[in-house]
Amino acid sequence: MSTFVAVDQIDKVFPLSGGGSYVALKGIDLHIKKGEFISLIGHSGCGKSTLLNMIAGLDLPTEGIVTLEGKLVKRPGPDRMVVFQNYSLLPWMSVRENIALAVDEVLAALPKQERRQIVEQHIQMVGLQHAADKPPGQLSGGMKQRVAIARALATRPKLLLLDEPFGALDALTRGNLQEQLMKICEENEVTAVMVTHDVDEAVLLSDRIVMLTNGPASKIGGILEVDIPRPRKRMDVVSHPSYYSLRSELIYFLNQQKRIKKLRAKKTTAIARHGLEKVNLELGFVPLTACAPIAVAKEKGFFAKHGLDEVSLVRETSWRGVVDGIAGGYLDAAQMPAGMPVWLTAGGHQDQPLPMVSALTMTRNGNAVTLARKFYEQGVYSATDFKRLILETPGQRHTLGMVHPSSMHNLLLRYWLATSGIDPDHDVSLTTIPPAQMVADLKAGTIDGYCVGEPWNLRAAVEGTGFTVATDLEIWLGHPGKVLGVREDWAIAYPNTHIALIKALLEACQYCADEANHQEIQQILSAKAYVGTSVDYIKLGDPNTQTCSLDQPMREYAHHLFYGEGVNRPSRTEHLWMMTQMARWGDIPFPRNWLEILERVCRVGAFSTAARELGMVDIKYHRGPIQLFDGAKFDAEDPISYLNALSVKRDFSVAEVMLDSRRTAA
Amino acid sequence: MVANPGTRPTGSNFADFARTFWKKQGQNIMLPLIGVLVFLVVWQLLSSTGLTRLPGPLSLVTEQRTRELLLYPFYDLGGLDKGLFWQTMYSLGRVAKGYTAAAVVGIGLGILVGTNQTINKAVDPIFQFLRMIAPLAWVPISLIALQNVQQAAIFVIFITAVWPILINTTVGVQQIPQDYKNVARVLQISPRKYFFKVLIPSALPYIFTGLRIAIGLAWLAIIAAEIVMSGVIGIGFFIWNAYQNNYVSEVILAVFYIGAVGLLLDRAMAYLQRMILPEEQR
Repeated sequence: MSTFVAVDQIDKVFPLSGGGSYVALKGIDLHIKKGEFISLIGHSGCGKSTLLNMIAGLDLPTEGIVTLEGKLVKRPGPDRMVVFQNYSLLPWMSVRENIALAVDEVLAALPKQERRQIVEQHIQMVGLQHAADKPPGQLSGGMKQRVAIARALATRPKLLLLDEPFGALDALTRGNLQEQLMKICEENEVTAVMVTHDVDEAVLLSDRIVMLTNGPASKIGGILEVDIPRPRKRMDVVSHPSYYSLRSELIYFLNQQKRIKKLRAKKTTAIARHGLEKVNLELGFVPLTACAPIAVAKEKGFFAKHGLDEVSLVRETSWRGVVDGIAGGYLDAAQMPAGMPVWLTAGGHQDQPLPMVSALTMTRNGNAVTLARKFYEQGVYSATDFKRLILETPGQRHTLGMVHPSSMHNLLLRYWLATSGIDPDHDVSLTTIPPAQMVADLKAGTIDGYCVGEPWNLRAAVEGTGFTVATDLEIWLGHPGKVLGVREDWAIAYPNTHIALIKALLEACQYCADEANHQEIQQILSAKAYVGTSVDYIKLGDPNTQTCSLDQPMREYAHHLFYGEGVNRPSRTEHLWMMTQMARWGDIPFPRNWLEILERVCRVGAFSTAARELGMVDIKYHRGPIQLFDGAKFDAEDPISYLNALSVKRDFSVAEVMLDSRRTAA
Repeated sequence: MVANPGTRPTGSNFADFARTFWKKQGQNIMLPLIGVLVFLVVWQLLSSTGLTRLPGPLSLVTEQRTRELLLYPFYDLGGLDKGLFWQTMYSLGRVAKGYTAAAVVGIGLGILVGTNQTINKAVDPIFQFLRMIAPLAWVPISLIALQNVQQAAIFVIFITAVWPILINTTVGVQQIPQDYKNVARVLQISPRKYFFKVLIPSALPYIFTGLRIAIGLAWLAIIAAEIVMSGVIGIGFFIWNAYQNNYVSEVILAVFYIGAVGLLLDRAMAYLQRMILPEEQR
């Protein structure tokens, strides 16, 4: 359908009384189709009401234009009726007179009789017959807002604009009014734009949700499509599979905005000390057993030992938070899924290549594939069994959770499925869920299984909601799990800090690998600041037999490797394997300049320097092809032939990834 | 307790009514009465002990002339010799004229100034300057300008009463909530309809505040004006005349009239305000 309302490159600048100016909105571009319901969401002061006012014509943009059906919006008009937050009813008129004032003025061409009818009809529509002759002062807030909505709709506007219409109402009234509004909009095919700060309201009512970033110079941070079918009922919407992912997406966005605001307020100047360029580091991690080296380095003082005495750990709930933190420049370094440095460098994040550096592999193993208990009862003990089940139940769609497109879990899960002839995109659907949310989603039945790092597989097994169907032993023993990632420009600007960071973490890895320390590390990790779960779920070594009791007979278990021969040294072959896998599934194009990318991402030199300075000269490493469980060998010499030889894959493309020349951080 | 009026004698019914009325209103009536009584007694005592030469309140009845004025407010012997009711009415008539003119000009000008920021900036200092001038100071100016005692008196009323009306109306119009203006803008309401359906009703509480302040000021001003302008019928000149002839208790009587009329005028305005404004705007 063609564009009904177009907001084109709008800027809004308010002059300040002090003489300066405040840029409220910058470069807003939004096209609204006829009959669409759009929500504008963002924190207070982000300019969402200003945007609404400009669509209404109550305020004019400083730059750019708003058009309605191709006509320029220059002043307010009844074709763009507004429902104001504080109702804006005239208190000296009765409900009927308030509506009649609008109808008489806007539909003056109609005969009086018909206008009366319209007024009555709309009073009825919002169920206020009994209060039609009362002044607004005698009505409750909810009733007033119903009058305002009736008044707006009675003028038959082309576009309905709602400015936090239910913000001042109690929850019960709000719910009722939302359903009424939804019904009215569907019956009358109203095009509407609503400003709100209520996440649930936005998901319930909207076709699309426009998320605005914080001011100054707010812009559209993202647009969410709400694919929940209409007509919607509150209870159905809540149980729709998309509901929680949309909701968490919105909440993630709003939280992220709040954090950015806080970080903007914080001073971020580098503090140089002890011969290091920067000792105040913001270090991102996601709560998993695999974050042990970071937690240990902090708690046991390895950071301080190497001069980094102002490291603060930033606990992200999802890998996406890490990506935004690194891309936004407010994280100095982060624990990352092994594929993320390459993924970022090759332009996986918003198609913007962001050169990354990885010089330390912090963990290997510790991942597993968990399926819901019901599959176990149906006799699914392997990927082949799973394939059989999928073929037997063609009507059912199985949803599997993974944590990030670039994580090893995604790549291993897909590889595991594909090797058994299950197409991970067509035969099942994969969805991105934060690690800590997996067990809850499995319990709620919104997903049927997942591939994630510990402790979340163990926990599902212990709680009896799922069972471990495959561990690293069955897929790729000793695969890289988490790596240390920093931006390339950061590594260039702070080379000594980078080495110190690698040294601190490498020592922490060594500490983690010592079995004598395991109990202590378990205690550290179970704290709220880290994983925040019961100590029983955190296993660094082999778990005892009861934890995998769902699986008969008990299989061996590939526990985390933190330190040892060939564990920590970054490997180009491994990064290349991940690059081919991500290209295989269409997440990134396969870079024609893959050699350059590998060279820039995988910094063996930095690792060697750090290891040498620590006196760990005897760290050996494995060179040669990688072999996974299916026996297929991966040779670093010819990745494109390898890709071509794979049977289950997407149409991958080969393209040059343009990396900007190595720039230094400002 | 269930009242059953059908089987009860009317007398007991009335007593019931009186009792409940007393319960509710007793404090409201008794306390002011006691206050007034104490005030009068103290005053009487002060004058009878000779601490002040001002006669006590009892002199209103004991003095022959004053008693006649008190008992016969409606007599009219022509000329300046009229009962106090007529004297008051003449003064009220002047107030009515001046006050009406002040209301018309004040509200009209107030709306103009309130809606137009430029005019407001231009005239605001003049208004603030003029409103500081005491009513008595206007008397010679108006006498010179108008050369007519009657008209001059009305002008003094006008110029005293117009400022609170003007300023309150201006504020009222400026304070029309942006929401109402936005509604009008979105609906594209015609200027005439905007004036009558939005502007006036919205500014009305302010206008009434202005009118209520102004009525008190107008009444104050007329007395002052009449005292200065000799030879007119009116309660102000009556006081002046009585003072000149040393009929002190007559002055006191007239003062009671003035106070009572002022109180009545204010109550009347308050009543009007309550009648016209809807509940949430009061």
